[in-house]
Formats: sequence, C-alpha cells, structure tokens
Amino acid sequence: MRLLSSYIAIVFFTLSATAQAQSANPLEGNARAIYAGGVLFRAQCATCHGADAKGISTIDAPDLTLMWSQRQLSVQDVFNTIREGIPGSIMPPHDFTDTETWMLVGYLQSVAVAGVSELPEGDAANGRRLFARHCAECHRVAGEGGSLGPNLTGVTSRRSLESLRTSVRQPSALIQRGYKPITVVTSDNETVQGVLKSEDAFSLQLMDQNQRLRAFMKSNLRRMERSERSLMPAFPPSLISEQELLDILNYLDGQ
Amino acid sequence: MMDKQQHSLTRRAVTPLVASFLALLLGSSQLTAQPDAGPTYDDILAGFEDPERWLTYSGDYSGQRHSPLTQITPENVDQLRPIWTFQTGTTTRGRGFETTPLVDDGVLYVTGSNNYAWAIDARTGRAFWSYRRNLPDDLTYGASAPVNRGFGMLGNRLFMVTLDAHLMAFDRRNGDVLWERELADYQVGYAATLAPLVLDNKIIVGISGGEYRTRGFIDAFDPQSGERIWRFNTIPGPGEPGSETWPDDPEVLAAGGGGTWMNGSYDPDLNLIYWGVGNPNPDYYGEARPGDNLYSNSLLALDADTGERVWHYQFTPHDLNDWDSNHMPVLAEIEWEGEPRRVVMVGNRNGFFYVLDRVTGELLLGKPFTATTWAREIGDDGRPIVLNDGSQGCLPDPWGSTNFMPPTFYPGLDLFILTARETCATYVPEEPANTPGQSNFGGAVHIDAEQGSGALRALDVHTGELEWEFTYPSPTFGGVMSTASGLVFAGDHEGNFMAFDARNGENLWHYQTGSRIWGAAAMTFMLDGRQLVLIPSGTTLTAFALPE
Repeated sequence: MRLLSSYIAIVFFTLSATAQAQSANPLEGNARAIYAGGVLFRAQCATCHGADAKGISTIDAPDLTLMWSQRQLSVQDVFNTIREGIPGSIMPPHDFTDTETWMLVGYLQSVAVAGVSELPEGDAANGRRLFARHCAECHRVAGEGGSLGPNLTGVTSRRSLESLRTSVRQPSALIQRGYKPITVVTSDNETVQGVLKSEDAFSLQLMDQNQRLRAFMKSNLRRMERSERSLMPAFPPSLISEQELLDILNYLDGQ
Repeated sequence: MMDKQQHSLTRRAVTPLVASFLALLLGSSQLTAQPDAGPTYDDILAGFEDPERWLTYSGDYSGQRHSPLTQITPENVDQLRPIWTFQTGTTTRGRGFETTPLVDDGVLYVTGSNNYAWAIDARTGRAFWSYRRNLPDDLTYGASAPVNRGFGMLGNRLFMVTLDAHLMAFDRRNGDVLWERELADYQVGYAATLAPLVLDNKIIVGISGGEYRTRGFIDAFDPQSGERIWRFNTIPGPGEPGSETWPDDPEVLAAGGGGTWMNGSYDPDLNLIYWGVGNPNPDYYGEARPGDNLYSNSLLALDADTGERVWHYQFTPHDLNDWDSNHMPVLAEIEWEGEPRRVVMVGNRNGFFYVLDRVTGELLLGKPFTATTWAREIGDDGRPIVLNDGSQGCLPDPWGSTNFMPPTFYPGLDLFILTARETCATYVPEEPANTPGQSNFGGAVHIDAEQGSGALRALDVHTGELEWEFTYPSPTFGGVMSTASGLVFAGDHEGNFMAFDARNGENLWHYQTGSRIWGAAAMTFMLDGRQLVLIPSGTTLTAFALPE
C-alpha cells in the first residue's frame, strides 16, 4: 500500500492540467503509472473484467484488451467511461481522481492487444489471390467471402503475427467460442457437421458446412459429438509457404 | 384444498356484510365503502391456506417454496402456456430480474431492478400504478448489483428496500410513499436488495455491501411509524462475543463485512428468525483478519422480539472465496433417526448441504452436493476439513456452488432441490487499498469459463445423497419452486423455464423466455379457479396457466 501511494505521489507531481480533455494520456508509457494502474485495476475492475482485463463473457463484461483494436476509441473516451460508467449496465461510475483514472487508462493501453507490428514485406496482390483460393470460402474480408469461420477484416490489428501463423498452421490450437466443431446425427439418420453457435438444455443451434443455420432438438438426435478438431484444414508450409503466408497477411493488413 | 378455498371466499364475502351492518348501525354511508384492510400478520402466518394469495417472499415463513396447489400436474403440465407478459422497461445487465411477486385480491405487487415497482392486474398483466425511485448517481454496491427481490406486505402497506440503502413504506393502492428510513450510508458501500420479512408488527431487513468497507446488520422496524426497534450487528464490536475471532483492532471490526442481503425465514413457535450472513471483508485477502471472523458466512438464529442471538453456525470459517452464506434457510419438520425433528436446511455457496436442529443449532448433516475439492467432509468439531485452499487446483468460483436463488423442499419425498454450479476458479489475493466507498475485494479471480456447468439436483435430506439431477450446459442461477401435485419448476441460464417430475427429475415441459432466469424462482396462486405460475426473466414477468 505504501508502495502504491508513493507511485501515486510521484506520478501526481509529474502531471499538469489533468482535468482538461485529453487527446493523449499524460501518463502513457509511464512504467510506474502503469504498475499502479494495474494494482488499481485488479482491486477495482477485475471482478467483472478479469485479472487480465480479458473480460468474463458469462456476465457480459467485455474483453478490454481488444477495445482499442475493435473500435475507434480515444483515451478520453475510455477515461470518461471509467468515470461515468455505462448507464443501464452493471458498469458503475467511479470517483477516481484524474490521476488514478489516467493510471487505469495507461494500464489498459499497456495490455491492449496490439496486433501485428512490423509485418515483413509481402505481395498483397498475390495475397489476395491466395486468400480467394484457400480462405474465402469460409472467411470474410471487407465484405466478401464466407461465414463459417471468423471475419478476418482488421485481424492484423487484433492479433500478433505469431498467433495468426499458429491459426493457419494449427487451426485446432485455439478455437474461438462460436466456432467449436460439432457433429449431430438426426433421428432420420442425417449426419450434419458444423460449428456450434448456441446451446441450451433442450436444443442446439449450429451453422453447417454449407453455411446454413440449423437448429435441432436434442431429443430428436441419435448422436451428438463435440470435437476439439477445427473444421478449418491445417495449412503446413507445403501448402502455403512462409512467404505466401506473409503475402496473405499483407493483403489482410490493407483491409 | 377446496375447503380452504371456500373458507377464504366466505371470509371475504362476510366482510362487506359486517361493514353494511355497521353502516346502518352508525347511520354512516361512508362505511359501506370501507376498503379491504389488506392482509394481516395472521394471514401471512397462515401461509398457503388461502390459495389466491402469496403474501411473503417464499409464500410462507418456512422458506420451503412448496405450494399446495394441484391443478397443474405432471400429466397436464405439457399444456402449460403463457397468458400474458409484463415488460418492465428496466434492464439489469450482469445480474437478473430477481423478484418474487406478491399477490392479494387479484393484484400483483412487484419490485424490479433499479428500484422500479408496480401493482399489476394478475388477470391481464396491465399495471395499476408504477413507481421509480430517483436514485443518486453515485451509488456504490447498488450500482454493481441494481437488483431487488420483492416487497413485504402488511395491511395496506408495502415495504421495499433500495439501492441507496433505505427502507420505504408504500400505500399499496396507489404506490404513494408513506415513509422512508435510511438503513446506512450508501456512499460508504451499503445498499439493500432483499424482500423485507414482515412479522407481527415488525419489518425485518438486512443490508448489502460486503465487498466494501461495511459492517453488516439485521434491523427490525415498526411498520407504522418506521422507527427502528432493534439492530443486530453481524460483526461484533470490541469485547463483544465473537470479537475473539478477529484481530484486536476496532477498525478491522468496523469494516468487517458480513452482509445480510438475502431474506431469512421465521419459526413463529420458537419466535426465532433464521438469517444468513455474507463474506468478511476484504473478500479474498485474509492476512489482516486472522481468525474465524464471526459471524461472517454463518447462519444466525435471532430472537424476533429483541434481535438477540440465540445460536449461530459458521459454514465457512475465515472465508477467502467470497462464499457468502446468504441463502434462504429452509425450515421443515422431518423424521430424524426415528424422531420428529425441527430442522433448518441450507444449500451453501461452499458446496455443502447442511441440516441443523433449528432449536439448538446442532449440526445433523453436512455433505457436499457438488464435485468441490475445497472439502469433502465436516469434522466432528463441526468445521469443514479443508483439503484444497486453492493451491491444489481450482476451486468453485466466487458465485459459489449455489447461491441465493431459492431452493425448494418437497415434504413427503423429503427432497431438498437446488440449483448446483460446477465451476473452476483461481483466486489471486492482493492487499487492498481499504478505501471507503470503493469496492475492496482484496485481489482478483480467474474463472475458467470452459469448465463450467450447472444442474438441478434433488438431495435426500436424511443423507444428503443425490436422488436425481438434470444438467444444464452452463453454471446456472435460476431458483426452484415445487407444488404438491408432484412438480418442480426451475429456470436456467439459457432462459428456459421448466417443469420436472419431483419424483425422478424427468423434464416434462419447458418454455424459452428469451433471457436467462437469474436469482428468481417461480411463484403460483389460484385466480378465477385457474392456477397461475409466474416467472421473472430478463426484463419480463410472464404468467403461465393451462388452457381454459
């Protein structure tokens, strides 16, 4: 506690004119402010947003590491949301001082998912052709493509090069909610494979491999099998070389 | 059943006759319009005797939430259908529409989130009046849990607690505010969310805010004057009994938590109130509060006249996981080892099902009803034998193995039926800032969402053994009600309102309400010869009945 107070004291004296609207966080990149913001975050925000700020989906608390890349947000917007809360939601207003609030914003900036930084060069035109051949049947970019897999528009600003490479080479390593594979066999002996969109005690809702939304009553199913193996085929370097992968990412980076 | 119904109709028919007679006698025409004086304490005490009434949170003082109604049966429940839906127009993101409506003379009295309230025609779902409290914009605990669990009712008065920690009395006929009293300073962290318990000339309420630097209490108020009659502090003062389970530090005691935010039950013969107490503060960080931290995470038996503690039992000594013991204590007379016994039963957030002698507080049974690895048995000293403090793999999450969503007791079958949650959480304690007005959890929790599931479970109250279960895809927060026709009604996190065969747990009917059923349980009553079943869900209250 004493440690935190001294951090607050130090950063406080380095601040000037904090009450006015800011286009930049006066504490951005300040290591001590980020540390103190993290302590404050874990004490005041983590119950809903998780200790790692990645949110808790079961209570509708959003992943704050993605907010910068998914929406056009200024640091002032985030500052105001912390201060004022979100009326009509569980997110309450807070009476943190300006300094404390900027420390929180600084911490959130520090954990924000940055996306691909310094993407190696590639041929975006070739990437576009490769994307159309290998990916577009299931993935949408800039309004074109399929819907069985996640929309990849802007994906390079949300995920790192390494995690994108893993998703192409080993798609089963991480399967997002909404894309978990499931196979059902109906009472008419129809076998349907798809990705699970929703489920309750009595029914399940999926998108089949033809990208048709279908729902089934569990009581009408002969069999229901969940799999950890993604419907997306793996693309080893023999199918998409490292350079071709960079070409695709350069194409996506421009979308 | 019919006898009682006729009896009640007769009683109502007589009242205007007496009034007319008095009017003739006194030569006054005003008395012929004498309004119904509303339910009395004796009416509440009679519980389910009048099938057209539901006058207190659980339907009667026992907390069993077991209605004697039998029109809807396991054979016809698949015909059950919605007859109206009431839209509250107020949302509760992150929590639920947690209320239990009260009903008298065909009128429902309903509280909503954000301290809305209504009187609603039970036949049509149309409102007679609505009320909305003008809440301050700097709520503390009340901002993070803007919920309410219902009215208390006595005569023509309704009682409701508020998110800014007040108790209010209303005129039930028009929603006019008669008086309001501050329970505690909301800016410190207090709030109130429960349904007041109405006794003979007393309103009993508790307080929320154990995540802040607060000190819990249970209060009794005079329903007429609004004056406070007594207060029991759940965290003892220096030198008081129980203070030996805390460090010798008045500041720690004065902010030790121990909220009392869920309703209690009442035994009129013993004149005892049974009430659960919440977590000590800080929730996860225990270094500054060595000891058992009484009366946190305990069940209290208090003398209703004086508020004095008669006995207590602590379920989770020195809690580090926010496993509040704010559950509906369920009172029943059961045979125990060949003898009739007055017991109180609790399905606890720590994963254990407990049966206690409610006269003495003696522990009769403590058995886990989930796969919790925290503890698997209670020692001879009545304390859990802790096997995993969190260092041996994940523990049930802070929402617990069950929570305040009401369970039901089915007499005869002797089943305690509750919503169970199987979860996996890792707790990371951290020394908190101890700032009044700011939440003070003392750390954070990682919840592994992939490992969660839920179930409706029926336990044999004599052994705690699982008799049957119905599983849900995710950890669930819906409450449970049973009816004497052999039915169990429950809600789940996916929004289904469901009916089950009480004997074996077979699902007989379900209806998708469109929003998760969270913290609420069903209630039921007769109206114009038809049995209605009501469930709150999301922003709606829906009434169900069999086709006419």
